[in-house]
Amino acid sequence: MAILETKTLSKAFGALTAVDEVSLGIDAGTLHSIIGPNGAGKTTLFNLLTGTYRPSSGRIVFDGRDITGTPAHRVAHLGLARSFQRTNVFPAFSLLDNVWVAAFACGTSWKGLAWRRTDRYPEVRARALAALADVGLAEKAGEAVREISHGEPAAGLSPEETKKLVALVRALKGRYTIVLIEHKMDIIMSVSDRISVMHFGRLIAQGTPAEIQRDPEVRRAYLGGVAA
Amino acid sequence: MKKQTVLLLAAVVVLPLVLRPAIASEIWIFAILGLGLNLLLGYTGLLSFGQATFFGSAAYVAGWLLKHYGINVFLALGTGVFVGAASAAAVGYLCVQRSGLYFIMLTFALNQLFYFVAYQWTSVTGGEDGMPGIPRPAFLGIDFGDPLAYYVFVSALFLVSLWIMKRIVESPLGRILQAIRENEVRAEAVGYNVARFKLAAFVIGGAFSGLAGVLYAMLFGIVPLEAIGFVTSGNVVFATLIGGSGSLYGPVIGSFVFIWLSESVSTLWARWPLLLGVAFVIVVLFLRGGVVEAWSRLWQSSKQKL
Repeated sequence: MAILETKTLSKAFGALTAVDEVSLGIDAGTLHSIIGPNGAGKTTLFNLLTGTYRPSSGRIVFDGRDITGTPAHRVAHLGLARSFQRTNVFPAFSLLDNVWVAAFACGTSWKGLAWRRTDRYPEVRARALAALADVGLAEKAGEAVREISHGEPAAGLSPEETKKLVALVRALKGRYTIVLIEHKMDIIMSVSDRISVMHFGRLIAQGTPAEIQRDPEVRRAYLGGVAA
Repeated sequence: MKKQTVLLLAAVVVLPLVLRPAIASEIWIFAILGLGLNLLLGYTGLLSFGQATFFGSAAYVAGWLLKHYGINVFLALGTGVFVGAASAAAVGYLCVQRSGLYFIMLTFALNQLFYFVAYQWTSVTGGEDGMPGIPRPAFLGIDFGDPLAYYVFVSALFLVSLWIMKRIVESPLGRILQAIRENEVRAEAVGYNVARFKLAAFVIGGAFSGLAGVLYAMLFGIVPLEAIGFVTSGNVVFATLIGGSGSLYGPVIGSFVFIWLSESVSTLWARWPLLLGVAFVIVVLFLRGGVVEAWSRLWQSSKQKL
């Protein structure tokens, strides 16, 4: 069953239609990757799904509920969270505080918002620590994030780190429904249940990794139309 | 008690012994104004160049009620806090729609708007002559006309304000505002309505500025037109940056440096703002955390030597 669906979703920036009538269904509990050449509209689609942009037309349905035009901060509370393409943190905060802010946001109550001290929220702290433990960073909770996210954020990960990331994403599969945008094909092919391919804002193919690898139109999109 | 608390209480006691009580009072009043600005500037990362809007509006409204209706001191303070918060809500609502330079220019432009209303509306504000004759009504037999009694009153309110601000910045709200300062897009993505939180920072900061405005009006018995002018807005930004924005005590130290320099050095040397200019350049180039950072660096290096 599709937990997240788009219906003829479009987004135009002036004359450029970055996302063009995309109808996409993401099944609950799966890892669904969206791939496509640079400028295919993947990031724009992502920004539409998470409420960062308002679509020009079309609808987005999440968990049976129309969320078209819902602002990003509210989408987050519905259970649809995003991470970012580049390393994206609250730089001056410790690792724990980074996660604490997110854990507090989706907490059940904001009681004491402007008065209770932040260290008087044991349940928020516990959830933040649990989230850190999930990714093997619990023992570094007190450290500044600057010391952990070393190197250039955009430079990407080493092969060693990539392996760890793949293992992490695999472990999350099933517990969460994951929509993944990634450029490294080997990762995509090894972790995805389904793949959607975008080209010039349109959806040109959908299927399992094996089906996508055979698809002639996908090959044309990636290799510029000269492939046999 | 913590070191800061002891130092602060000592300062409250010692200050009127070494300075005239009126100047000592002005230091704490300006510090309250700085606390309000710093919630925006230091914690939320919003450079409000219009804090005098809230300060001046509160001073005029409460001053007018004190003068013509003889309201009591605490009602005047309440009025000031309310007017400060309400004007900040109105200004903030417009300003948080934009960011960066446009945000700063909006706070400045709206400040100018309030300034020219005060300038033109001479029947109420006295225009360029200011609004004189604001009393300091006695309360429960305490004559606030006595400069020292008024100093005690002001410093007590300052300590309460500082305590409230400390609670706010150490609460989830304080952390969320800092998260917005650090990364607005991420704060939105994890589920905070950034515009509304910025507005909250405005309203709280405005309430503090309003309190300072009333205390200022009662201190000098007049609301000068400059109280709502952009120079006042600039001065408080200046003082806060010199003291150290982003730290709770920064604006307090900044206020002390600023008022003390302007009151003591100005009598010796008319070009004293030059000194401030030099201090400001040093802060911007070498000490982004202001006096607070300078102090902690000294503290660190002295500990290493021992």
